[in-house]
Amino acid sequence: MTALRHGKYPFILAFLLPPVGIYALYMLSPYVQAIYISLTRWSGLSATQTFIGFDNYVEMWNDDQLRTALRNNLILLVVVPVLTLFLGLFFASMLNVGGRRSGQAVTGVRGSSVYKVVYFFPQVLPHAITAIVFAYVFAPSNAGGILNNLLEAVGLGRLTQLWIGEPKYLVWIIVVVMTWGFVGFYVVLFSAAMQSIPRDIYEAALLDGSSRITTFRKVTLPLVWDTVQVGWVYMAIQAMDGFAFVHIMLGVNGGVQGAGDVLGVAIYRAAFAEYDFGYAAAIGVLLLLLTMTIVVLFMRVLRRERVELA
Amino acid sequence: MTTTQAETREPSSEAPRNHRVREPGVGIGGKAIGLLNGGFLLFWALITTLPLLWAILSSFKTNGEFRTNPTGLPSGIEWTNFARAWNAANIGQYFINSVIVVSMSLTLTMLFGAMGAYVLARYDFPGNRLVYFIFVGGLMLPVFLALVPMFFVVRNTGNIPLIGGLLGLNSYLSLALVYVAFSMPFTVFFLTAFFRTLPNSVAEAGIMDGCSHFSLFFRIMLPMAKPGIISLALFNFLGHWNQYVLPLVIMQDGDKRVLAQGLGTLAANTGFRADYTALFAGLVIALLPVLIVYLLFQRQVQAGLTAGVLK
Amino acid sequence: MSSSIERTTSGMSSTRRTFLQRMAITGVAVGPGGAFLASCATSGGGDDEGDSEPEPQGDVSDDNPLGIPEDEPLEIYIFDGGFGDEYATDVHQPIFSEKWPDVEINHNAAVDIGGELQARFVAGDPPDFVNNSGDGQMDGAQLITDGQLYDLSDLFDAPSWDDPEVPVRDTLIPGTIEMGSRDGTPYVLNYAFTVFGLWYNKTLLDENGWTVPTTWQEMMDLCAEIKSAGIAPWVYQGVTAPRYMNWPLLTMAAKLAGPEILVPVDNLEEGAWGHEAIRESAAALRSLKENDYFLPGVEGMEFRDAQGLWARGEAVFCPSGSWLENEEADAIAEDETFELAMMPEPLLSEDAVMPLETVRATAGEPYIVPADAKNPRAAMEYMRAMLSVEGARGFSETVTSLTSVAAANEEVEISAPGLASAQEALNAAGENVINWLYPTWYPTMENPGIDQATGALLRADITVDEWVQQCEAVAKEIREDDSVVKQTREA
Repeated sequence: MTALRHGKYPFILAFLLPPVGIYALYMLSPYVQAIYISLTRWSGLSATQTFIGFDNYVEMWNDDQLRTALRNNLILLVVVPVLTLFLGLFFASMLNVGGRRSGQAVTGVRGSSVYKVVYFFPQVLPHAITAIVFAYVFAPSNAGGILNNLLEAVGLGRLTQLWIGEPKYLVWIIVVVMTWGFVGFYVVLFSAAMQSIPRDIYEAALLDGSSRITTFRKVTLPLVWDTVQVGWVYMAIQAMDGFAFVHIMLGVNGGVQGAGDVLGVAIYRAAFAEYDFGYAAAIGVLLLLLTMTIVVLFMRVLRRERVELA
Repeated sequence: MTTTQAETREPSSEAPRNHRVREPGVGIGGKAIGLLNGGFLLFWALITTLPLLWAILSSFKTNGEFRTNPTGLPSGIEWTNFARAWNAANIGQYFINSVIVVSMSLTLTMLFGAMGAYVLARYDFPGNRLVYFIFVGGLMLPVFLALVPMFFVVRNTGNIPLIGGLLGLNSYLSLALVYVAFSMPFTVFFLTAFFRTLPNSVAEAGIMDGCSHFSLFFRIMLPMAKPGIISLALFNFLGHWNQYVLPLVIMQDGDKRVLAQGLGTLAANTGFRADYTALFAGLVIALLPVLIVYLLFQRQVQAGLTAGVLK
Repeated sequence: MSSSIERTTSGMSSTRRTFLQRMAITGVAVGPGGAFLASCATSGGGDDEGDSEPEPQGDVSDDNPLGIPEDEPLEIYIFDGGFGDEYATDVHQPIFSEKWPDVEINHNAAVDIGGELQARFVAGDPPDFVNNSGDGQMDGAQLITDGQLYDLSDLFDAPSWDDPEVPVRDTLIPGTIEMGSRDGTPYVLNYAFTVFGLWYNKTLLDENGWTVPTTWQEMMDLCAEIKSAGIAPWVYQGVTAPRYMNWPLLTMAAKLAGPEILVPVDNLEEGAWGHEAIRESAAALRSLKENDYFLPGVEGMEFRDAQGLWARGEAVFCPSGSWLENEEADAIAEDETFELAMMPEPLLSEDAVMPLETVRATAGEPYIVPADAKNPRAAMEYMRAMLSVEGARGFSETVTSLTSVAAANEEVEISAPGLASAQEALNAAGENVINWLYPTWYPTMENPGIDQATGALLRADITVDEWVQQCEAVAKEIREDDSVVKQTREA
């Protein structure tokens, strides 16, 4: 880039200013304010904020319900990305390079574009609608429950459960719904990455007589690994959310015994049901710290793996 | 899925090493794997479509039918469900609002996002990492933390001299800018990674040709990044289109609401009126245009990719 | 309705505020400063936005007792829930507009009231009139604490719409104003009047020759019979609101041992939930699960699904308030022969202190005028129109609910059989009407607090002792939370 040293900084400035400006005004500044709010007692209904230092943070320490929410978030955080990314990679590789090899060309399976359209479909849905539909999937059979009716129809009636009525299932229901909603997106994301892999690399692998699995492991995976990493981090962050699903399927209290609670809902509840914005903001800060830790952790681990793979 | 992996690994490791070019369909193992894969692909397709198909079928039923036979086929098509959804939730107006807001927000997001990401990916300057991390750090910010302060920020922009009239609450532009802001982290994150993967040789060739920084970006790098940009635009389009929480705070005027908000109202209403079938009808009304746009985009994604390969 | 609210803090400031305002209204201080004084007095509430313009006022006259400005718009928000919003657009607004044709009504309906309006309250820019109800309702107690509500004293002291000789205050069912007051100052108009009880499927009872049980023993015997007939005896509101079962629970306990056992519950006294009568009542309801008397799957249902199945004859008993008939109107309309009726909860013992006819009833459905409203006088005038006999009767006929307007309840021709039975139950109760206030005072204590405990009790996941412990823990948490403003009552 030496030839272009001239005019580099004005260019950088001109390109960075619009995105940074909008981002700082509409997104960063509210968060900075929110951090201050976490140090106050504020009902959110009036303009009076009383500074109380770290009282809200001390309160969190003794909040059992918050502990449930935290535990559920950790479950979502571990299980949903693993499941989603695994399925996403699996289906993407099936769709893009899993087809029979006619002659020397590497193709996807027949109808792969149709599959992609179908798989991606849940991503098109507002979370609210996904949640409403799945509330019916897991309802008792006499209240429309699709899953239970299906189980009965195929002779597995003894597997029916009061899914949403059982505290022990709640978080797993959210895991299932999230995975259902997210897999399609990752299939498309990984497909884009896989399709940008030069075809001759595959053909070289073919000439070596590599099997599908070997091709996947030795060729596809390393080449899309950057995208997987992007996907993984993003997925982990999405898994920290889960708000719409829990809020709509289980309600603002996190379902029976609050067993399906997540931090996002706890924040919402503290703010908009209990009118304790200071506490809500404090939980928000906790969520923030947690997410940051996780992202940094993921980045580290993934980077090391990448070195090993290479 | 783990079983597939295990099963597929077995025959493939037995594949003779010296079998250099495999003919199509050769080997029973290959065929079995193909079938198995097809089975899994089909299985997931069913899992994906069945709940939605159920929702669509439900939109054709009467409420009585929905109650008594929730998993069966509708006896006819109950068009009044759609009329109720259309009238009760004012979906036509919301649809136009969504189109206005999303077309603005998407254009700005992609333009500004690509500009920022490009600079961060390919230029060295003091503070580069810092700016990058400030953007990416935004991914971790829980949106609910920002809602109330954001309301004030938006409200105060209405008092800015000259342009204040365009901003403030209940403004399409304000909402679009908020979408842009909240989309920046992932857009910058994703596109920075993408711009980094573009080969240096092309950029260098452009420089040799005497491109300026601007023309290098707009004429060479941006077209090269097209596959990534299209994927991401698709992603952002859906994110903006389905956004619910942000417009709830900013678009309080009944006539300015966007589609997801309207659907939300419809969903919440159902809790009280049990008009389930109108809810599903509203969902279908809202879904069809998105699906059409998505299908069109899908074709463009593939066209873009083929073009990239042909070069 | 004997719930007088003890003053916990000095009522000084609000009394002074009312005084100043009344001066302004009655013309004592009329003159250039009149409107100014009133605006100062009502702008309290920590609004530091600096936009506290004087509220618009018109001249006070016999025709305009609240002194509303005749050409300022009025922005109202109606909760679009069980009652819908037609009663406002079709009944109340025509009454109001006939008298005030130049006041433009800006009508809004919302499902999530708090979600739509909360930010506007913070910004000091709320609408003029809000039906603060539903799942998304703003915490009324907190709004009062924050000084966000307009003092409604003038409304209740103003002459009523129908008879200038009778003030609004005297047209209401006793206890209505107290229900919405703090420290003697009224802030909330509770307009609907709700009777609580057990709803039953009258058609099924009649068809099978079953009689309405009057004691719990009879109830259990009948349940056994109903179950053997292949019908589920009971439903409750499933995952959504097991707290609906608190109503029969506390009502039966109060019938057994007297209404005074509810006072310590409201006052958050230690051990209140451990009262023998409350334990007995909890054990009775738990036995419904032990004997498998609930509709299968009800524990996992949304409340509308559970109630819908009940209305379709899948179960016989369902606890709810007098709104149930309206809420399930669609389901009820499906079957011409279906008839529902309300009964008072059965007695736990023959030696119960209160008679069988005792019911819980209370004024509910809150309407408020924000302190920062731009046109609060007109909002109160709108309330005055609502409280006219014509307005109240129209409301009753439109939404199938009683109102707090005593005369309207007597005159209204209730065609809905369910509501008629609720009205009958209320009349039969006479003086024996009970209520408790902790859910109004401390919304988070009822939900999720007691709600979750009762949910677990009804699934028989916990014993009665554990339920008492959980309820006590919930009460303790509220008791020890300094940020919650406490209220108490004596009887």
